[in-house]
Amino acid sequence: MRPEKSDLTDARKSQGNRLTEAEAIERAKQGDEEAFEVLYRLHKRRVYSLCLRMTANTAAAEDLTQEAFLQLFRKIATFRGESAFSTWLHRMAVNVVLMQLRKKGLPLVSLEETMETEEESPKKEPGAEDIRLAGSINRLQLEQAIGDLPPGYRMVFLLHDVEGYEHNEIAEMVGCSIGNSKSQLHKARMKLRELLKTSRAEKATQP
Amino acid sequence: MTCEEFGRVLPELEGDHHNSEREEHLKTCSSCSGLVSDLNAISAEARLLVEDQEPSPRVWNSIAIALRQEGLIRDPEVPALLAGSRLRGWRLAWLRPVAIALVVGAALFLQLEHIPRGAPVARQAATSTPVLRTDGVGQDSAIDADEVQLLNLVSSRAPAMRAGYESDLRAVNAYIRDAETSVRNNPNDGIAQQYLMNAYEQRAMVYEMAMKRALP
Repeated sequence: MRPEKSDLTDARKSQGNRLTEAEAIERAKQGDEEAFEVLYRLHKRRVYSLCLRMTANTAAAEDLTQEAFLQLFRKIATFRGESAFSTWLHRMAVNVVLMQLRKKGLPLVSLEETMETEEESPKKEPGAEDIRLAGSINRLQLEQAIGDLPPGYRMVFLLHDVEGYEHNEIAEMVGCSIGNSKSQLHKARMKLRELLKTSRAEKATQP
Repeated sequence: MTCEEFGRVLPELEGDHHNSEREEHLKTCSSCSGLVSDLNAISAEARLLVEDQEPSPRVWNSIAIALRQEGLIRDPEVPALLAGSRLRGWRLAWLRPVAIALVVGAALFLQLEHIPRGAPVARQAATSTPVLRTDGVGQDSAIDADEVQLLNLVSSRAPAMRAGYESDLRAVNAYIRDAETSVRNNPNDGIAQQYLMNAYEQRAMVYEMAMKRALP
């Protein structure tokens, strides 16, 4: 997994407020409420964003965020610092979301995985202008397109491209093969490309 | 390598930039190189997505309640000399809910009074959903003098918490402002009214949590 995006900044912010993450962890192990709250505040956005993107539902994302932090705090006494705290927490949050989706009977990988799609090779429509996305992807459009992905594609895309997990880690978490994870990711990106192009074409035709 | 063959092996080549056959094909095929460029751009942009969504205050509130019920949060030990003042604090503890109720009641009353009733605004087809954000949108929402005082109290007892509560108050005030706008635009819209009530409840929750931090 690649380095965390915001954790260092947050940890420094915490230092400015006289309580570092490491100190908060030690105090939380002693049952200090303020320390629990400091840790929650440091990581709530990242965990919540992950849950929200995975579920595309505010209430469900809040419940899962709550559950992830509760699981973390229940086990905090066992945290020995071998890995970064944020990595530990994040992995726990992913597992909470996956477990919840399993409970609901939702597929973690797309059921379309064995289907041959026509998207495998680039299509050329005679006379059609080939719109390129590179350099012009709008963040909001991308967020919206991710939300429109089928759940199975969305899961692998989020874990790999947004959260930075490797295919072997995803395969282990989701319970699929590495090849399957790669295939799902590719299909997710292809679908996103299609959605972003459609979105751009619709915008272009608007007065 | 044809475009079809390239398309078949593309998922397997993910992240592999040293495949000579692939590179050779990409040099000669603008369609496939365009596709790869687009997919790489999507992937690169996804890495930059930020965590700008904020859970509502109820999440921490619920976590804190659960931690207390499970005995994971322990009350700090109070030295014998302070036992008297703790007792006084206990005797005054009833003031807390009363104060919260007064603050919330007053806020509700004032906010509802400020919303013009029956304003001649055309009802829109859909009510926009206010969302708690921390990406700067709505962060211009001022905090009033009472809230500053509350933050100062928090700061005096738990300095590490001040910035967090200030951020929460600004976010929830922005949420209230958005919700009020929705109600003004759609005075008969039950969903908009519900959002506004939720927003007030969230502010009450932030007040309550901040007061817990501020009081002995």
